[in-house]
Amino acid sequence: MNTRRYSIHMLILVTCLLVLHSVYAEEPLGHHLNPVTPHQAADFSLKDMDDNSFNLKNYVGKVVLVNFWATWCPPCRHEMPSIQTLYQRYKDKGFVVLAINEWEDSDKVFVYTGQLITAPTFPILFDRKGSVADKFSVKGLPTTVLINKKGQVVYRAIGGRDFNHPEVDKVIRTLLSE
Amino acid sequence: MRKCYIIILLLLIPRYAFSVEVTPTKNPKSGQLTWEFEEPEFSIKLIQLLPDFVSAVFSSRGLPPQVVDTLKDYCVFGTIFRNKTSGTFAYRVSDWRFITPDGKEHKVKTKDEWARQWSDMGYPFHWMFFPAEQKFGVGDWSQGFTTIKLPHGSRFNLKLIWKYQGELHHQTLENLRCAPAELPARSSGS
Repeated sequence: MNTRRYSIHMLILVTCLLVLHSVYAEEPLGHHLNPVTPHQAADFSLKDMDDNSFNLKNYVGKVVLVNFWATWCPPCRHEMPSIQTLYQRYKDKGFVVLAINEWEDSDKVFVYTGQLITAPTFPILFDRKGSVADKFSVKGLPTTVLINKKGQVVYRAIGGRDFNHPEVDKVIRTLLSE
Repeated sequence: MRKCYIIILLLLIPRYAFSVEVTPTKNPKSGQLTWEFEEPEFSIKLIQLLPDFVSAVFSSRGLPPQVVDTLKDYCVFGTIFRNKTSGTFAYRVSDWRFITPDGKEHKVKTKDEWARQWSDMGYPFHWMFFPAEQKFGVGDWSQGFTTIKLPHGSRFNLKLIWKYQGELHHQTLENLRCAPAELPARSSGS
């Protein structure tokens, strides 16, 4: 009885996830990044899957894209390949991506990234309690901020974006050249 | 007589200017309904979610039954809200109201309220709920679950309030329906 109930529950979950994913996945991704009044980014220290610590302050002098995300969030999944493309293009020129996962653990993220055709090569950090999201006033996922070489937040995007877009490329090149 | 016409006209204007009803689309597989409202300043999509789905989604995040069960008195909509303006656009769910057929207005429970309640229960998870407030820039949008405290299958109107160019605006979305308690095929087939 319990097995049957579990199977029905799982079937409903999978069906509904597919339905919800198809609805959200159809949502078009824009590319506009909103400039904000430059202000010093709050420092943080978070760990990745392998327990390595990452401190934001160590990246002063580089351009940093901080992306707040989760595996269950359809627009987060939708935009992630474009972040990877951007990262691949500029990682050797002083561009850093820190993808901050909210609430989930390394097992869930490992399973998720294992399914991707191109797994992210940038660090994925874990913000289990949401304290870093709070520091950056993140109200929903995904939210992305761009930090200039001085450690200042200069752009922000709420909701999914196509980061593999010429306009975004131009922003990154400008920030790298400053 | 002319005065009478003017009064009637004035009474009618707000209804037609600030309320809108659209025909929902039906998912052929699940039977779930989706409403899409397009306005010059924003678009909003509301997707009926079955209670079993909502429970399963939150359970899959590791939340125990006593936490997930707190949603059982709510009907839940997947919600996508977009800024279509070329400027800033702000909203607070605490300003929104759902209106029952008796004409009464009720507050919409916000993500922050869920966060407080679940945090007190030892589970500070809130990310799947629709953000309680946002100040959107160009191209910004939010998605998440909106919760309405009504029995499954209920009908209601939803009054949205937002701020654009320093002024508050409102729009009432008419004749929304909560998802049924179960998939129609299951409820009618057994």
